[in-house]
Amino acid sequence: MITQGSSQTGTALLYVPGNSFIHRMNPLTKLVGLLWLAATTFMLPPGGMAVIFAATFLFGVLAGAGKAFIKRLILTLGPFAIFLFVIHGVLIERHDTIQHEWISFSPEGAQYMLKILVRVAALLAASMLFVTTTHPANLLKALDSHGVPPGIAYLIASPLLLLEPFSARARAIRDAQQARGLDLTGSWKARVKAFPALLIPLVTLALSDLDHRATVLDGRAFRARPFRVVLDAPVDRPYECWLRRALLIALPLQIGVLLWL
Amino acid sequence: MALIDIDNLVFGYGKATPVLDGVNLSIAHGERIAILGGNGSGKTTLAQWIAGSLPRPGMTARSGTLHAEGKPWSDWDALKRAETIQFVGQIPSQQISGFAFTVYDEIVFGPGNLGLEEAEIRKRANWALDTCNLRHLVERDPFTLSGGEQQRLSIAAALVMQPKALVLDEPTGNFDPESRDKLLNQINQLPEDLTVILCDMALKPALAIARRFVLLDEGRIVADSDAQAILAHPRTLEIFGAPAVTEAALAIRAAGRWPESKPLPFTYGQAETLFKEVSHAHG
Repeated sequence: MITQGSSQTGTALLYVPGNSFIHRMNPLTKLVGLLWLAATTFMLPPGGMAVIFAATFLFGVLAGAGKAFIKRLILTLGPFAIFLFVIHGVLIERHDTIQHEWISFSPEGAQYMLKILVRVAALLAASMLFVTTTHPANLLKALDSHGVPPGIAYLIASPLLLLEPFSARARAIRDAQQARGLDLTGSWKARVKAFPALLIPLVTLALSDLDHRATVLDGRAFRARPFRVVLDAPVDRPYECWLRRALLIALPLQIGVLLWL
Repeated sequence: MALIDIDNLVFGYGKATPVLDGVNLSIAHGERIAILGGNGSGKTTLAQWIAGSLPRPGMTARSGTLHAEGKPWSDWDALKRAETIQFVGQIPSQQISGFAFTVYDEIVFGPGNLGLEEAEIRKRANWALDTCNLRHLVERDPFTLSGGEQQRLSIAAALVMQPKALVLDEPTGNFDPESRDKLLNQINQLPEDLTVILCDMALKPALAIARRFVLLDEGRIVADSDAQAILAHPRTLEIFGAPAVTEAALAIRAAGRWPESKPLPFTYGQAETLFKEVSHAHG
């Protein structure tokens, strides 16, 4: 009822509101699809992985999440590509390493680096497609409506929800300690020395919060029954059920083939 | 049968001095009761005992018992307990479940756990939203609300369980006077049969809501009476002071010009009438 298209969430979510075909799919179908794609990338040659990457990227753009895709892909894959290139292309010596004055380069290493990079890019793009088109609230409702134990749904929801208040508290502790004279601008040694003064109150308060949160959950009868009644659960079309079943059968088979070969 | 029956309860954390030291208290269904006390008097601990969130595993009372509707809390299952009593603590952000991404989902979280019918959940949620004036915030993330809004949300999330009793631990502690008065007004409009147990260290919320007042001092109940007697109690004056109009009336009484039979005022409205009556009586 509420979450689709909501823009007033303050949580650190990557979700991009929209009403595309991917947005409307049941979150569980998307989750199973993501798992299947992840397994598939390990079976395909680099060309196949590149196709998966391109397809998921295209779906992301069509779903209106192009900007988020590009930003995250550049931020994640850029440094990762440089790191891989230095390790596999330059530092690891192979039989085809070419030495030119002080620099060395291995074409085989570069090829291997490219293979890993394309696989990671495909996995990242598939994950991005999932998180940008699935609001966690809808994922929780889908899990609940399929009888997944409430404790598992809580494990997914609470880190996403509590991240923002936790960051706000960390900032408040930093400001309070700085007001009391804690130096966070000096040398790295001074910063390391200051670290416990920030970490200890943060952990202590988080533990105290846990206690309160447990009382609140108890008071609201959380897990008093093995299931929860969910309002506005995402639509689950028959073809999606069949698709999930097919993918769930294919998934272990693919992993089996991968291990066998 | 009383809703809550506490018999000579002695409780402390670890081996420290008891926080509750021989508390005897009986709360009937539908009562509006304020448990007053200063810092460290044991209000929150008593509130948590009443709500069933104490004792936690590994803790026990040093002596005494607490019964809810004739049965010890330990004999109640979580479902029945949640349907019987709800607790709203002091710090609003700590009252949020951490399970819901919107105010609406936070409110329907509890009834969903109770396994109610969808229509019943929606009906209760709509009532709680209106009662706590949250309708305009339904799509907001609970963690992005202001402290006052979060407190209203906590109360709505408690009310939607339709408990027999609501325990409020300093619910207006972080409020400005206008927001405090609005919330107190909303609490006053709750169904008559709902027992409200307010723990506070401010007189104003207590006087606005309660009809029975319990004064807790160092873990002991030192007074259990109506507003008139509690306002005149020496410990009340020491701990809280009193509203200016009450202090004025007490000063007049000390001078022998305010009869013992005449009630003390604690609002400006009451003061206007009573001061006129007293001044007429004394010419």
